[in-house]
Amino acid sequence: MSRVAGRTDWAEEEDEDSLQLPQTQITKNKDGTETIVTFSIREDGKKVKTTRRIKKTTIKQVVDPRVAERKQWEKFGQEKGKPTGPQTDTTSIAENIVFRPVANWKASAEDKSETEKKKANLKDAKIKCRICSGDHWTTKCPFKDTMAPEGGDAAAPIDDAPEAAGGLGAGGSSYVPPHLRGRAGAGEKMGGKFERDDLATLRVTNVSEFAEEGDLREMFSRFGHVTRVFLAKDRETGRAKGFAFVSYADRDDAAKACEKMDGYGFGHLILRVEFAKKAT
Amino acid sequence: MRPILLSGHERALTQVKYNADGDIIFSVSKDHVVCAWFSHNGERLGTYHGHVGALWTVDVDPTSTLLATGGADNTIRLWEVRTGKQLKSWEFGTAIKRVEFSPDGRQLLGITEKRQGHLSTIFVYEINPDPSAEQTDEQSLRIVCDEAKATVAGFSYGAKYIISGHEDGTVCQWDAKSGEFLDSVQAHEADMQVTDLQWAPDRTYFITASKDKTAKLMSTNDLEILKTYTTDTPLNSAAITPVKDFVILGGGQAAMDVTTTSARQGKFEARFYHKIFMEEIGRVRGHFGPLNYVAVHPKGTGYCSGGEDGYVRVHHFDKPYFDFMYEVEREQQANL
Repeated sequence: MSRVAGRTDWAEEEDEDSLQLPQTQITKNKDGTETIVTFSIREDGKKVKTTRRIKKTTIKQVVDPRVAERKQWEKFGQEKGKPTGPQTDTTSIAENIVFRPVANWKASAEDKSETEKKKANLKDAKIKCRICSGDHWTTKCPFKDTMAPEGGDAAAPIDDAPEAAGGLGAGGSSYVPPHLRGRAGAGEKMGGKFERDDLATLRVTNVSEFAEEGDLREMFSRFGHVTRVFLAKDRETGRAKGFAFVSYADRDDAAKACEKMDGYGFGHLILRVEFAKKAT
Repeated sequence: MRPILLSGHERALTQVKYNADGDIIFSVSKDHVVCAWFSHNGERLGTYHGHVGALWTVDVDPTSTLLATGGADNTIRLWEVRTGKQLKSWEFGTAIKRVEFSPDGRQLLGITEKRQGHLSTIFVYEINPDPSAEQTDEQSLRIVCDEAKATVAGFSYGAKYIISGHEDGTVCQWDAKSGEFLDSVQAHEADMQVTDLQWAPDRTYFITASKDKTAKLMSTNDLEILKTYTTDTPLNSAAITPVKDFVILGGGQAAMDVTTTSARQGKFEARFYHKIFMEEIGRVRGHFGPLNYVAVHPKGTGYCSGGEDGYVRVHHFDKPYFDFMYEVEREQQANL
């Protein structure tokens, strides 16, 4: 194709590019393979050199003469006039299927499905309590009665926010009509139950991360009947988060424990014990 | 194993069949069209046009020159395989549920549906294997099934018997010359339709599939139940594999219930059982509807399945399939 100098026709330009491309090189290697180097231009205009090493093997197949003859048959019906070879509209290759017959297939399949089930369970187990960040549902939280949902920081689980949030109800979720907001005074809106629990609950901080609930219960039950011990744990590592709550049946016991246990050395740390702040 | 997906049909497949050499697959579906495919690469050889109703059945003669099809337009049509030309059409009172050539290809058997006052009948035509010859209109044999309608049937070795499977789960044996009733066995549960009957290569035994979730291997001569394969889903089809002693069963939740089940629950898998030990050895997934028919390559190198989903999936077995052996089989081979 001859080129006219100074012509800037787009069609001509294309040709120019292809003219600049080096010829395809085919080299025969010693090991019987062929190396094919081709040059092409990508959509973004960059030149690409492709090197392919190909090994050609001749596969001999003995075919029945009847079968061979049938392969030469002309296509008919809807396929009439179509070129040889599978047509993409009717024939496609599905994804690979591993089919490996095994004796006692049923048992092995059941085993597999069971392990899969367990895996699925583990995946589902990402449960986080909104109150104490423990790995249980919020409704199952042992402190749902004594604590408001956590604001985010694990070290400050007692949230004073609802008061500030325009009196929009305790727990931060339920709507309180405006005419009731004024009445939302301390202690009144959550009822007596909270009061009682709060009064006898100690907040223990600076707890060793290797502490167990059992250890705490043992230590604190010296001062009276402990109704519950809750140790906040990280749901991923399973280690203690460094704080715990201990509830007593009696407020006097709680006061005694608070006094005695504050500053008590437990593990390598010194405990800090105080009365849990009210949720509101 | 990479299956080849044949998507030439627009509706549910009803039957797929290999020719005697295994190089061509014929498929029929409810969309009125018959397709012929090369089995090795899935290339479509052509289509056969003429039917005006859903097709239920197809069979090819042993020399791959003549093709018979039957369907809901109450006709059996004979085609020239090579050109797609229709050679003959026989009209009936009701739909055709099954056609099958005799082992020598000189007889053609058909089954009509029981409907509109017509009883289900099995009839036989003599076939002239020359495609240019005129085919007879005269039935050489008529068997009327007045008790339960026949659903499947076929010729035994040497066209000695006709074996038929019925709606009520029975399997009957008839004399193929005289049409005389010889024997009947309640092979499957009562009122559980026999959905398929496929022969072993030598036709001395066959396998039946049924809606009662079992498939049975039976002998041709005395209709003895040799083996029973129990599954957990209604079966639509069963095939015996040559080379390896396996059977392939296909089925799944009935088509009308499919929308209420997910693909996994529907059990739309081809199940492989060991023919002798009657134990399941594996499954092949892929279809997203029940398998309506499974056919095995006559040389045992692969199989194809036609599903309610409108696809034919052609599988070529690879090495693990041929290598698989039970411990006892291995021992036996070592001792030989």
